[in-house]
Amino acid sequence: MDVFKALSVPTRRSIVELLAVEGELSATSISDRFKTTPQAISQHLSALRDAHLVQMQKRGQFRLYRLDPAGVNACGEWAEKMTRLWSKRFDALERLLQKEKRNASEKRSP
Amino acid sequence: MNTPRTRTLVVSRVFNAPLDLVWRTWTDAELVMQWWGPDNFTCPFAKIDLREGGTSVVCMRAPKEYGGQDMFSAWNYRKIVPMKSLEFIQHMADKDGNRVDPKALGLPPEFPSDTRTIVTFEAVSADETKLVVSQFDMPSADSVFGKNAELGLNQSVDKMQAIFART
Repeated sequence: MDVFKALSVPTRRSIVELLAVEGELSATSISDRFKTTPQAISQHLSALRDAHLVQMQKRGQFRLYRLDPAGVNACGEWAEKMTRLWSKRFDALERLLQKEKRNASEKRSP
Repeated sequence: MNTPRTRTLVVSRVFNAPLDLVWRTWTDAELVMQWWGPDNFTCPFAKIDLREGGTSVVCMRAPKEYGGQDMFSAWNYRKIVPMKSLEFIQHMADKDGNRVDPKALGLPPEFPSDTRTIVTFEAVSADETKLVVSQFDMPSADSVFGKNAELGLNQSVDKMQAIFART
């Protein structure tokens, strides 16, 4: 399944974003976050695996999911460049946020 | 497997700042200027036109060692849900926000001409905000594949808005 077809379903987009933030989650942990049935989530995870957006690893009785570098953040050089760019932007954003917070609290205490 | 031209990137971070402040760093020109541009580039101005169909323009000035010229990033907004999400297409532009072919700016051939970007904001606590940026380098809209992909993503975003409205 191609990436865009896989991502055209909103729940699948949410799963990808969830794994981007959390790193690795079991199938059950993922299901718990959604109102739909575990069976529906299981089908979404299947579609995402098919599109190489997530990968699954069995550990004992657990099925653990994480983003698949082959599909997401793929294409080597481009992905590395973009990830580095966003990392720097986020660093600059953090510095700005801390500066704004300091300014705001300085204004409050005369 | 992906065709070589479709590329998906998802990056995220939790910032130690309240949601409304993080939202303002994306929507207030004075703040956008202070973090968007590459290292060593300065940002002499940003013009924010925060409405669906509007285009914001951020100027990036190269350091003298690189020639000191101005380049302009444009964000053409498709969907805005205040304090929750921004969806826009990023492209290189002239100072008025008109699309410019990256090749004309001397940028490398693989530099995308249009990048669909979705930014979501979520309060984790009173002083923590989760930011997720999803970028999709789209094939050109002329290709059949491009048209289908665009349709798919439009539907995805419409439904995404519904999800945000429910939660």
